[in-house]
Amino acid sequence: MGNRTFAYFLALSLFGEKGRHISTVLLSILIVFLLSSVLFISSSLHSVIENALREEPDLVVQRVEAGRLVNLPLKWEEEILSIRGVSKVTPRIWGRYFTGVKGKSFLVIAVDFLDENSHKTLEKLIGETELKTFLDGRHMIVGYAVMEWMKSHFYKEYYNFIGRDGEIKKMKISKVLPKEDNALFADTIIMGIESAREIFGISEDEATDLILDIPNDAERDFIADKISSLHYDIRTISKKESRAAYDRMFNFKGGFFLSLFCVVLLAFVLILYQRYSQVYSREKRQIGIFRALGWSMGDVLKLKFLETLSVVTGSYIIGVSIAYIYVYILGAPLLKNIFMGNGNLDMELILPPVLDFSALSSIFLLYALPFIAAVLIPVWRISVSDPKEAML
Amino acid sequence: MSYIIEIEDLQKHYDNSGERFHALRDIDMKVRRGECVILKGISGSGKTTLLGIMAGLDHPSSGKVVVDGEAIAKLPDRHLSRFRGKHIGMIFQHYNLIENFSVRENVMVPLVPMNLDFEEVERRVRESMEVANISHKASMSAGRLSGGEKQRTAIARALASDPEIILCDEPTANLDRANSERFVEILSKLHDMGKSIVIATHDPIFDHLPFEARVVHMEDGRVVEEGRES
Amino acid sequence: MNPILLDTQVQIYLLSEAILYLLMIPAFLISLKIIPKWDFGSFSQEQYALEREAYLVMTILIFAFVMKFLLLPYFVFAIDNLNTLVPGAMCAAGVISANSYGMPLLFVKLFLVFALILWMAVNHYDLEAKNYPWFKIKMWIFIAIFIVASVELWLDFSYFLDIDPTRPVSCCSALFGQLEGANPLPFGLDIEKLLILFYLSWSLIVFAHYTGQTLAKLLATLLFVYISYYAVVYFFGTYVYELPTHKCPFCMMQKEYHYAGYLIWATLFGGSFGTMAASICKIFLKVDTGKMESLSFAMLNLFTLTVSLYPLVYRLQNGVWL
Ligand SMILES: Nc1ncnc2c1ncn2[C@@H]1O[C@H](COP(=O)(O)OP(=O)(O)OP(=O)(O)O)[C@@H](O)[C@H]1O
Ligand SMILES: [Mg+2]
Repeated sequence: MGNRTFAYFLALSLFGEKGRHISTVLLSILIVFLLSSVLFISSSLHSVIENALREEPDLVVQRVEAGRLVNLPLKWEEEILSIRGVSKVTPRIWGRYFTGVKGKSFLVIAVDFLDENSHKTLEKLIGETELKTFLDGRHMIVGYAVMEWMKSHFYKEYYNFIGRDGEIKKMKISKVLPKEDNALFADTIIMGIESAREIFGISEDEATDLILDIPNDAERDFIADKISSLHYDIRTISKKESRAAYDRMFNFKGGFFLSLFCVVLLAFVLILYQRYSQVYSREKRQIGIFRALGWSMGDVLKLKFLETLSVVTGSYIIGVSIAYIYVYILGAPLLKNIFMGNGNLDMELILPPVLDFSALSSIFLLYALPFIAAVLIPVWRISVSDPKEAML
Repeated sequence: MSYIIEIEDLQKHYDNSGERFHALRDIDMKVRRGECVILKGISGSGKTTLLGIMAGLDHPSSGKVVVDGEAIAKLPDRHLSRFRGKHIGMIFQHYNLIENFSVRENVMVPLVPMNLDFEEVERRVRESMEVANISHKASMSAGRLSGGEKQRTAIARALASDPEIILCDEPTANLDRANSERFVEILSKLHDMGKSIVIATHDPIFDHLPFEARVVHMEDGRVVEEGRES
Repeated sequence: MNPILLDTQVQIYLLSEAILYLLMIPAFLISLKIIPKWDFGSFSQEQYALEREAYLVMTILIFAFVMKFLLLPYFVFAIDNLNTLVPGAMCAAGVISANSYGMPLLFVKLFLVFALILWMAVNHYDLEAKNYPWFKIKMWIFIAIFIVASVELWLDFSYFLDIDPTRPVSCCSALFGQLEGANPLPFGLDIEKLLILFYLSWSLIVFAHYTGQTLAKLLATLLFVYISYYAVVYFFGTYVYELPTHKCPFCMMQKEYHYAGYLIWATLFGGSFGTMAASICKIFLKVDTGKMESLSFAMLNLFTLTVSLYPLVYRLQNGVWL
């Protein structure tokens, strides 16, 4: 079989009796839509993180006192640079700045404009080479979420930071990072290293942490071990560890959702089983006639199976398409909050469209396999209909 | 002499709640190629059951059933169905049309599993509708046909796969006189085409056929008497 | 909770495996019921009911078969993606060796694919014949499949539950790289002899195919799969990666290498399992397996062609061998 006559009959049984499949299709579309929305959001976030991690340093060295991150002395720089395999060590200054006791917080990152590397990253970030204005030290670049917060607090051109010493530091806003591509920088402020030192009260011979360049991947774990043994209060974070941390976070949320989804899926399966048993029991006589006219059990099985498969793939394509529009074009209102769940500033994350094999195959498996499994027995039951049925 | 249907020592019984009911006993029957056989007998004498077994729709309890050289009493479903589709055209008492299919689609049903070209399928559908005189209603849905039209659609469907054997169960039970006569006309056409025909009926209209036919009387699941009529 | 178990793909994989197993349980019970009672010559109503029930077993198995086929690459894909969670791992090789369940699981999976292909073949010929001549054999094969599938499910869960995301594993370069003095190749072969044996066993298959020597073909195919595995990992793979030291059966399934590994392994295992199943059917059931043989043969040739092209194209582009 598999010819045009068969296809014609497949179409007849799919579209012939209107409403026979419509409720199943609608329900399936809803299920696929829910599932794909969540998986699309998570794979999109994944790619955001992947991109951000590419810029991440190979190894970060920090100082921890009683489990709390503290500034480290710059003399560590020399010690670490002397380890073989480390090609470069760069000190960084950054910290969270809280706008008040119960206020919001910004991530303040300081950049050394004299340093070539950070210069390049920054250029890429704001897409502009005009950094000269920065060098006088009283300017900053802010993420769009920060800008929105400031506007709502009537700071349109500058913001007054209150430094460690209680003095007010007035910083001009020279640029806002565009929303697109910079989702992770929404609550970030970038400023010169001197201003940051003043605001956080970090002295000239200290830094928040050190970042290392280690050209050889294979040596990273070994070097990290070596650095850890230099001082009792040293902590190292490798690129891989931070990726694993992110992965874990999103997996946790995704995993939570999936467990919830299993309950929905179970209900779906039961409904399908019921519905198909009902529809097919009405068709028993018709199939009995088919059987009497020369259709074998295998023929009916094939017809019913392809009918199911058409419903499954049809709903799959429609559901995935709607989810694509919902997530990537409309920006996944409501659902996104579950994933972001960040009380700080209103992070309006733009999700870059990612349509990967992993998400698509996962959706298909998670939806189609239980679907077909649920209707397998009703399908079998109808296909072994007794041809004697036609004699009665 | 070549027989198209050979039945030997056929038994059929139903076991319902421990009681055994013999629907057919010791049936021996042979049908020659191109022959027309009329099965007669009162209601409940086992005509339908016998037709069902000849068509491979039902299984005998024991015995031998050879149709067109194939022993169909014990065949796996796949082969039995294929055999049924190819060699047997069945006209049921209640027509058994698919109500929401059109006439054309109804006629197409037996052709679907045969793996033919679509052009060939369309040709066969057209031809058999012509023989059965129903071409003018080809796209009407079967549920809205009159009794006679339903009957003729059923005939067209039975002819679609070009079978050697036509089995009819009470073909005129639900027809008026005029339609019954038209049926007999079509029947004689089929007879001229060389089909072997078995008809189960009590309708006296089959007592005077325009062609030669053999009458087989059944009673209580047995063949009691054979005769010749024309 | 173990972060491995929170991975979406792992969850979906385990759920799918569990559902398939649940479906196979009724099929198994029905088979147990059918086997002693089956007597195709019988006219009893019960026998006809058994025939219908056998169709249920068949329906479930064909579905399970298709799904297992799809789940195998999905499994590899999932563990490949886990490499970010398992310290030290760069690809699926490291993840699969994260505990002692990994490799047996992979073998059981491959065996199951073979057994399912064999079952499908026997089922096909059984349905073609007019008296179900191999019905019981088919059912026994299914019983065996079910037992192996039970082991597989147990291994599935043991494997994923036992991956410790804090315990570092070796990456593929450590697992497959040549250690000093130790030759990883079988029979003490070196690369040259391995390649000779590879093409020799392939020629043997071609010869046996055209002369219709089924037993020879079966044996040659067995040798061919075994040799091919090493040939791909230790020779052809290095051309896929274009790096003489990169020896790994899994990395080639990553995006960087255009998922070439899926094609390579699918054609190798599909082709050889198909050939083996067809040969077994031909020897024991004495049926005409022409169609299946040509299809598997084509797959084996596609495999040989694909892996041979990698070094040749490299040579043409760069003018040297690796
Ligand atoms: N499934 C069954 N179980 C028990 N008895 C049955 C079954 N099917 C048919 N019978 C019996 O077998 C006998 C023969 O039935 P059959 O339908 O062959 O009669 P018939 O000659 O076609 O009658 P009619 O002229 O009324 O159509 C009837 O007595 C009927 O009750
Ligand atoms: Mg009757």
